[in-house]
Amino acid sequence: MLRWVATAFIGALLVLTLVLPGTSLGRRGTESATRMETAGESSFVGRPFPPLALRTPEGEAIPWETLQGHRVLITLERSVDW
Amino acid sequence: MVRAYRILCGVLGVAFVVFGLGAFVSFFGFHAPGSAGLGEPLPVGPNGVYFVAFTGSCLVGWGGCLLGAARRPEAAPWIATATATGLVLNAVYRIFVWILGDYHALGNLPRVEAGLFLLLALALLWLRPPASAAKAS
Repeated sequence: MLRWVATAFIGALLVLTLVLPGTSLGRRGTESATRMETAGESSFVGRPFPPLALRTPEGEAIPWETLQGHRVLITLERSVDW
Repeated sequence: MVRAYRILCGVLGVAFVVFGLGAFVSFFGFHAPGSAGLGEPLPVGPNGVYFVAFTGSCLVGWGGCLLGAARRPEAAPWIATATATGLVLNAVYRIFVWILGDYHALGNLPRVEAGLFLLLALALLWLRPPASAAKAS
């Protein structure tokens, strides 16, 4: 009996590994999906960066205009949305 | 059936011992004089190789148990159950690794490994000798 329960559990995990690529969860992070979703975004290259609401770690607003004329390095960090 | 079980345990046992020794030796390679310090082939630091060496030591012991099971399958069929459990746990975190974007560089490898481990766990579960055989021995 226990062996069948274990087999069912392992089988469920096996099915999960097979169907993962077809799920929205499984498509996350793949390069091809990102390229498809951002196909039109290349038109931003060479144009002014769109207004962006920035805040310091303390919560103070950083006016976007104050950054104009300066070199700005923007790091985008992906985080898991639990 | 017992023959297939012995072959499976033997192959897994040898693989575990070889990988385990490799992981164990990599710790000393990392700290060897003149080492690049990058933990080749694994890109881990001093803390990482500490745990790699721990994993390697455990794998050697685990592989030894499997080699023992290959020699006398009826002596300890629960080794198959324990190994299957370990393989399933390995598969579970690999599925999670595949979902997370942090391991994107690995591509499909974690998912393929998870599938392989699950199949091996199933094989161990169904090929192992019955518990009554252990009592008889």
